[in-house]
Amino acid sequence: MVNAIKGVFVSCDIPMTQFIVNMNNSMPPSQKFIIHVLDSTHLFVQPHVEQMIRSAISDFRDQNSYEKPTS
Amino acid sequence: MGNGERGRPNKKMKYGGKDDQKMKNIQNAEDYYDDADEDSRDGEGEEKKRDFTKLELKPDHGNRPLWACADGRIFLETFSPLYKQAYDFLIAIAEPVCRPESMHEYNLTPHSLYAAVSVGLETETIISVLNKLSKTKLPKEMIEFIHASTANYGKVKLVLKKNRYFIESPFPEVLKRLLSDDVINRARFSSEPYYGGDGFSVGRTCGELEAGPGELLNEAEFAAAAEEKETHSFEIDPAQVENVKQRCLPNALNYPMLEEYDFRNDNVNPDLDMELKPHAQPRPYQEKSLSKMFGNGRARSGIIVLPCGAGKSLVGVSAAARIKKSCLCLATNAVSVDQWAFQFKLWSTIRDDQICRFTSDSKERFRGNAGVVVTTYNMVAFGGKRSEESEKIIEEMRNREWGLLLMDEVHVVPAHMFRKVISITKSHCKLGLTATLVREDERITDLNFLIGPKLYEANWLDLVKGGFIANVQCAEVWCPMTKEFFAEYLKKENSKKKQALYVMNPNKFRACEFLIRFHEQQRGDKIIVFADNLFALTEYAMKLRKPMIYGATSHIERTKILEAFKTSKDVNTVFLSKVGDNSIDIPEANVIIQISSHAGSRRQEAQRLGRILRAKGKLEDRMAGGKEEYNAFFYSLVSTDTQEMYYSTKRQQFLIDQGYSFKVITSLPPPDAGSSLSYHSQEEQLSLLGKVMNAGDDLVGLEQLEEDTDGMALQKARRSMGSMSVMSGSKGMVYMEYNSGRHKSGQQFKKPKDPTKRHNLFKKRYV
Repeated sequence: MVNAIKGVFVSCDIPMTQFIVNMNNSMPPSQKFIIHVLDSTHLFVQPHVEQMIRSAISDFRDQNSYEKPTS
Repeated sequence: MGNGERGRPNKKMKYGGKDDQKMKNIQNAEDYYDDADEDSRDGEGEEKKRDFTKLELKPDHGNRPLWACADGRIFLETFSPLYKQAYDFLIAIAEPVCRPESMHEYNLTPHSLYAAVSVGLETETIISVLNKLSKTKLPKEMIEFIHASTANYGKVKLVLKKNRYFIESPFPEVLKRLLSDDVINRARFSSEPYYGGDGFSVGRTCGELEAGPGELLNEAEFAAAAEEKETHSFEIDPAQVENVKQRCLPNALNYPMLEEYDFRNDNVNPDLDMELKPHAQPRPYQEKSLSKMFGNGRARSGIIVLPCGAGKSLVGVSAAARIKKSCLCLATNAVSVDQWAFQFKLWSTIRDDQICRFTSDSKERFRGNAGVVVTTYNMVAFGGKRSEESEKIIEEMRNREWGLLLMDEVHVVPAHMFRKVISITKSHCKLGLTATLVREDERITDLNFLIGPKLYEANWLDLVKGGFIANVQCAEVWCPMTKEFFAEYLKKENSKKKQALYVMNPNKFRACEFLIRFHEQQRGDKIIVFADNLFALTEYAMKLRKPMIYGATSHIERTKILEAFKTSKDVNTVFLSKVGDNSIDIPEANVIIQISSHAGSRRQEAQRLGRILRAKGKLEDRMAGGKEEYNAFFYSLVSTDTQEMYYSTKRQQFLIDQGYSFKVITSLPPPDAGSSLSYHSQEEQLSLLGKVMNAGDDLVGLEQLEEDTDGMALQKARRSMGSMSVMSGSKGMVYMEYNSGRHKSGQQFKKPKDPTKRHNLFKKRYV
């Protein structure tokens, strides 16, 4: 019997995979979203978290980029 | 910096997303400036749009080099034939904001105008010359601003003549106004008969005589300056000078006083017999900075800004040789004290017995009645108990009147220390030297009143073109984090170790090793590796078997390592902690690799770059179009996706404003480097990770001692301590150190009883 699970296939670089995995780990068990870690650059996650991942990553990047103050 | 930065596009964000890996090159502000030529700028946010259509273009605008905007910003075209003259003028009246290759941005500020007035430019001169150079009619706002800012600045001078303090001004009404103030009136010298409100002594001084910059400027400048001026003056009580000065600051009467020293007519203080040696040939920009200082035959107090390696010491020595009075030279640490003493002997005819060093190691007594004393800020400002010997020397310093107070690296010294130094030493004239007039705490403007205005600031790129300083290729090397390190980096419980984790990133280590190997073997370069993080410093240096210098390294050992680095063919790389940032003079080095740094300090970045700016090789090779385009290299290794990216961009800001651009390198080490470099295998990487994770939090943090507060506290009474685990040999050579007692700053850490630091044997027992 084959089980089909709908999900989103995420492809990213090594550090970002770790970032997403870390995100997943910090969630309460009921909200864990990674279905499967395929390898160090690919993940299979639940479909509804795509936006959340994107915004979390963009926040993370913003924290790490400096903008010259524009006062 | 102020509003000058408002309209600037934000530097392109850098991030490590996959698609952006290839996106390159920090965008230079240049293309943007070209837009400024047009009347409107698009592509920027609505609120940032500015309308310059109101500015009236002069018919012959093509020949004029400047754009002056109503908000005080001025843009200079560097390709204009009048560039040189316009630059000299602008640098005197405005603050440089950003100076890339073909377009410079300046900002008129009250301070910059104060500086302008203090070097002898008058309000009307400033406006008329600016008007001549500007492509557009000067905006009304700007003229008003100049008037408002210069109305009072520089109208009053404090002059020391024959050891009597005079307040001097060409405008008797200003003096009257000052005298109506209680404090000043009381300070007025009582022996002088008081002629009911008026009765200032009238003297004549010659106007400015500077080597004229060029056609356009000359007429105006000379017309205003060359005529003889009448000056009025009254004498004040030397004991009250400090109070009077204070009353005159902008927050009180708002007549900031300029200080000048009429050293030629000073026959109270003994002359010092010293001349520049004939081989000391000041370069054009050094000449120019000196001419600003000695503009009218008197010595003005102020700050001269020259990039590192451009010959600041020669400027200092020349100034001392021109004044020919006792000179007190202050440096930041013992090494640079030695270097200053050496420079004095190198460039001038001063005799060995006329110069003495005063540090905690060498307390040379000062003989004769005039001479040069070289010491550190800390030695002078030190508040605690001194040894009897140094107490005597300090007493001597206090009692003496110094012709010149020469202050090296003025940007590092906190204001309160300056006040102390200045209060201890009585000097007629103060000259500050620095390469980087920025402080992260924005306290830099304090210097304006503590020392004096900025007299001159050189343009880095012009000096590079002239071959006076090295042409540096700046590069930022992006090292991706490895999987395991990044996983740890993200964990909340590791927040204190973040820095250690991104610094010890194996990919960074490999990149560093690759660069060292490449430059040592292929080019035969001399390399300095900077690491602020002590743990990383020791780890890297041990692994690569290179010598290192950090805070606890003794003066003798430092000298030995540096000597070997200079002379030996086998020692081509040296690891430095932040003790190497300032004034350790290593002229041989031409490559810098930076593996960790003090957060976002722009000053540190510039100072480090300065270590390799001293020009090397033949002059003709260095000139534009010479054999080698670049002869020095500055690498900053950055772990992507970490805080380091943020800091690194911030740090580069200062250099970018000087016109440097950073190249980003993403593929280091080359993929085929493989196992020729360390940490190739995963096991090795994991064991490194284990080491980092096991090190106590206090070990992986920043080096705690600050060179800025070097000197006394550091060199006396200090213990090096290792943690328990180090003693037992379980952790390689990692030292923790702290200063006992003295250090008031409260920065030093207490040694916590951290259970993770217990040796494994005991750990088990206590858990």
